[in-house]
Amino acid sequence: MSKIDPILLSVYARTFKSITDEMSISLEKTARSPILCEAKDFVTGLYDAQGNMLEQTENLPILAFSLAPVCRYILDYFDGDINPGDVIFHNDVFSMGNQNNDVAVFRPIFFEDKLVAWSAVKGHQADIGGNVPGGYNPNAKEVWQEALRIPPVKVYDRGHFRKDVWDLIFANIRLEIVQHDMKAQMGACTVGDRRVVELLTKYGFDSFEAHKLALFDATKKMMEAEIASIPNGTYEGEGQIYYDGHNEGSEFTIRVKITVADKRIKFDYSATDAQTDGFVNGTFTSSASATILTFLQMVNPDMPHNEGMVKPIEMIIPEGTVLNASYPKATTFGNHLCPPNADAIIRALAPVIPDRITAGWNNLLCALTTGMDEEKGDKYVDIGFMGLKGGSGAMKGTDGYDHIGMIDASGGLLDQDYEMFEQQTPHRLVKHEYSEDSAGAGQWRGGLGVETKYIIGSHDTQFVTFGDGDFEPAFGLFGGKDGTLNSITLTYPDGTKQLPNNKDLITGVPKGTLYHQLAGGGGGYGDPQKRDRDLLKQEIRNGIISAKAARRDYGLQEEEQ
Amino acid sequence: MSGKIGIDVGGTFTDFYYVGEEGNPHIHKTLSTPQDPSIAVVEGLREIAASLNPPMELEEFASSIDKIVHGTTVTTNATLTRTGAKSGLITTSGLRDALEMRRGIREEQYNNHYTNVVPLVPRYLRIGVGGRLDRNGDEIEPLDVDGVRDAIEHFRHQDVEAVSICLMNSFANPDHEKQVAELVRRHMPEAYLTVSSELLPTIRFYPRVSTTALNSYIGPILSRYIDRLQDRLEDIGFGGVLLIMQSNGGVMAPSVARDSAALTLLSGPAAGPGAGLVHARVHGQNKCIVVDMGGTSFEAALVDNSPVMVNEGEIDRHRLALPMLGIHTIGAGGGSIGRIDEGGLLRMGPESAGASPGPVSYGKGGEKPTCTDANLVLGYLNPDFFAGGKMSLDREAARRAVDEHIAKPLGMSIEEAAAGMYRVVCNNMAQGVREITIKRGFDPREFPMVVAGGAGPIHSCLIAAELEIPLQIVPRSSSILCAVGMLMSDLKHDFVRTFVSPMENIDWDRLTAVVEAMIDEGRSLLTSELISADNQQFFIKFDCRYLKQYHEVSFTVSREDFQNQDVAAITNAFHREHNRLYGYSLDDGKAVVEIINVRVQALGISDKPANRETVCTGQSADAALKGERSVYVPEDDAFDIVPVYDGHKMVHGNLVEGPAMIEEDTTAIFVSRDYACICDKLDSFTIYKKSREDLVASTLAAATTVEQGK
Repeated sequence: MSKIDPILLSVYARTFKSITDEMSISLEKTARSPILCEAKDFVTGLYDAQGNMLEQTENLPILAFSLAPVCRYILDYFDGDINPGDVIFHNDVFSMGNQNNDVAVFRPIFFEDKLVAWSAVKGHQADIGGNVPGGYNPNAKEVWQEALRIPPVKVYDRGHFRKDVWDLIFANIRLEIVQHDMKAQMGACTVGDRRVVELLTKYGFDSFEAHKLALFDATKKMMEAEIASIPNGTYEGEGQIYYDGHNEGSEFTIRVKITVADKRIKFDYSATDAQTDGFVNGTFTSSASATILTFLQMVNPDMPHNEGMVKPIEMIIPEGTVLNASYPKATTFGNHLCPPNADAIIRALAPVIPDRITAGWNNLLCALTTGMDEEKGDKYVDIGFMGLKGGSGAMKGTDGYDHIGMIDASGGLLDQDYEMFEQQTPHRLVKHEYSEDSAGAGQWRGGLGVETKYIIGSHDTQFVTFGDGDFEPAFGLFGGKDGTLNSITLTYPDGTKQLPNNKDLITGVPKGTLYHQLAGGGGGYGDPQKRDRDLLKQEIRNGIISAKAARRDYGLQEEEQ
Repeated sequence: MSGKIGIDVGGTFTDFYYVGEEGNPHIHKTLSTPQDPSIAVVEGLREIAASLNPPMELEEFASSIDKIVHGTTVTTNATLTRTGAKSGLITTSGLRDALEMRRGIREEQYNNHYTNVVPLVPRYLRIGVGGRLDRNGDEIEPLDVDGVRDAIEHFRHQDVEAVSICLMNSFANPDHEKQVAELVRRHMPEAYLTVSSELLPTIRFYPRVSTTALNSYIGPILSRYIDRLQDRLEDIGFGGVLLIMQSNGGVMAPSVARDSAALTLLSGPAAGPGAGLVHARVHGQNKCIVVDMGGTSFEAALVDNSPVMVNEGEIDRHRLALPMLGIHTIGAGGGSIGRIDEGGLLRMGPESAGASPGPVSYGKGGEKPTCTDANLVLGYLNPDFFAGGKMSLDREAARRAVDEHIAKPLGMSIEEAAAGMYRVVCNNMAQGVREITIKRGFDPREFPMVVAGGAGPIHSCLIAAELEIPLQIVPRSSSILCAVGMLMSDLKHDFVRTFVSPMENIDWDRLTAVVEAMIDEGRSLLTSELISADNQQFFIKFDCRYLKQYHEVSFTVSREDFQNQDVAAITNAFHREHNRLYGYSLDDGKAVVEIINVRVQALGISDKPANRETVCTGQSADAALKGERSVYVPEDDAFDIVPVYDGHKMVHGNLVEGPAMIEEDTTAIFVSRDYACICDKLDSFTIYKKSREDLVASTLAAATTVEQGK
């Protein structure tokens, strides 16, 4: 084994990060579907020959743990039959995929005829077959009603393009754009491959291996130190899921038991409710990612994202629970179980580390719209990023972040530019502003929610709603108040109103309908009476807290105003 | 009357580059006066006048100057320190929060303590008014004139000093904005006004409103500053032309700067790349990488025929959507602090000791080891000859700090630790150079690297080795390269219009009218800046993308192709640029290409001082040899005794083999073992990889000829 040079170690760490960033930029600039280029719903990463995470750039935190388990699965699956020039696709949720729409490209990296690493990119595809365009099918009960399953498959074998395999995959996907986006993902993997080979050429394989292990070790120590600062013990918390898409009034509970023992932490979800018979189910990988991203927000944000970070963390997510559905259940909603999962973890740890947790975050409620833009003679698909971003929970010393969106994206998912929205859909935006009094009151208030209104510009418009947060608001902590609820209301041209369920499919919505969405605020932290009075007066002046709410929630006296 | 001066105001020093009638350049530095930077400007002029031979009176000197080019950071500083004007925004009803929301981004996703940036206009001064245009610019609802009047009344009541106007879809039709502007001008004649469709008539609401608000935020500040500066210059008898540096690498008249103040944001380093090119051309290269390492930051830019531009940038997390030089900045400078992180890794920066307290070795209270301290331990800095001997450095204090904070925790010797700090900071800078080369589709090995900034030439050999760059150039004026660049800059004005159209189906009459209108605007602006018609040039650019892509690619369209309406040639130019940037293009004839924006750049060729070439005296640098000392040589990973040369005594043709040190008052140059250094005909220190003599063949040949003649 090569000797560890502490300086070279820093150089490796910096270089790995620069490689995954470069892969990320490559994909962002070349992909076509808005969910990749605008929402950046993808992750780029490097993994070692054993599938250990070397470095990642996850644009959305929910993807933090979505590639490494697949890499290991692929290694097992091909059992040594991995060769230079191979390119492997994968999305299958029953072999470590996190969500059907998230399709990964893996490219083995060889140096001196030896498998030394992998570059991989996973991105959310605009379509993945199944019953409903775009993949969100609230009526699905089995995976085949949701998506095409892609277990590990080589689309390039030793550099040879397998046209038959390619055509089989894309014969089952509606949109041609997906082919382009998958090519862009392959391009980003090539970028990673080239840079890793450059690095090995410079320092050699032995140095690479030795320093890689030293890096894992350094990060592991960082994580262990963070865990050791949490008092030993067992802590329990719950988060609630409302409605499975089929049974009106149905509810499911996520139950986590967190055990901290010196330098290790265990998240045990054994007491969580059983899986649903709809699409509201997690996969192991999506739930593990949710756990990790929530915990990462409670530790030093400079932590490198490599294998060492996850080593001291143990997760028990039994198959058959709502967080890890068994074959062949539907699971498309799985990523969106992150918010209630985070609620459970925060509630469990709030009494133990009150300085490091936030109050509850606004949960996602979203509407995917499809229809015909008559003026342009073209179909449009809109994922509705505009309306879905509520506020984050406050924490000690810091107000919640306004208009940030759900915790699984943590401000990584941006709303559309208003003018691009009107170019790409026939709709007209009427309102998109902070929603007054939406923030949970507190010494530190929650982040503000947002009110969005637009007029539907297409006949026979189809809506798919998915999400939560319309039954239970983001919770306050230590005397802080709850935020506001999510809602979507459609007002038809004849004046009738419709309130869709939070997982619904609505067709035939006429042109001229007013779409109205409220994304709720985050939970407050601490006694609102203690909020800084000057700040409060500024907020009244700025119209984000009303004078009435200031009196009611914060006890601001008339004469103070 | 033909003297010319470039004046670059920095945080600590104001740099002057004066070229007099005889053409011999003068370099001068004076302490900046941040409370009113124009004080240092006049002070510096006075000092230069006094230092001339024979000395001149300030007034006599000022009246002998026909051109002053001035780079100012007052707008950048006002934005960073949040001391801009109290401004109001009139926007479309229901959309007044776009400026503050910034599309809902939180840059640090795992950091719940990270807060949003305070908006440039507080919410109570952001007023939505009724009236609406659709996506094609057609009116759906007339402007609510009463609403505008109420907003103006509110602003007057609140003592608002500047007003921004940005309405939905105004890129397609400026009528509503014009109506609002007229009312504001009538009722608030004193207010500084920015109209989005005048400043930036392009699609995308957030970048437009942000840029508009930035312009109003700093407009009054810049106007007042220019007034003061002009008054002071007039007082001392200056009667020539004053030009102001812009972030696009060009210069402009003060009147233009007053209206479009945002053009000066981030203009600090913008003159460097153009100056770098002058030095690269000596070696037959029309391209270069320009790096500048100062006390707190490292800046890298690329020149490929002309400095590479980007169409937008960011200042303090606010979007600034104006064409500017693509300068990449990282937190790596002489003051960068070294530390061991929680995982045991050595990190350099981005925290900086700045000028105060500064590095430990300055003895001004700094306790944490910096890059400068490591350089001192490694022998690159001469403790008795820092800043030309004006300041001495405490080497023992530097050693103690490196020992305590780096060497002991890592279990290394002090020298090993200092070498580690040096290598890590060089690696960081090499990654910074990657950002502007590899990530934008350029191969750094094909570019000479021009090195500026006081701390740059100590690190450049290792950066070059990392990126396999074979040629580095350290100009004599490297410590004030931006001031030099200002005198080399042309007048430059960028225009842009959104013009959405499939490439195959262009309405050429309309497009030609749009482009001609921009050219006319440029022509009248340049004419107002006293640029004659034959010194005016116009360049056309398109921003295109493949249908349904989200990001556009900007590329140059030749006047000829444009006039011939040669769609095939223009489309090919797009494919080529896309391929260069992203490694592929869809030129199979099936992919639809669409235009989003068209741009015109108006260039006014300015009167520049000539570069004086020096006489070659042959290869021997013996006359400049002043001693030897022990320095760290990275190729050996060990210390070695190397010769030290007095840079001021080295002249055209003189050659030094690495490893060696070359010292000047403001700069120290380290020539590493794998490199050699020869002075070229502009007296620049040209450092080339041994075995790559071909890169400096003409300079070597000139030196050899002189040797043989002796």
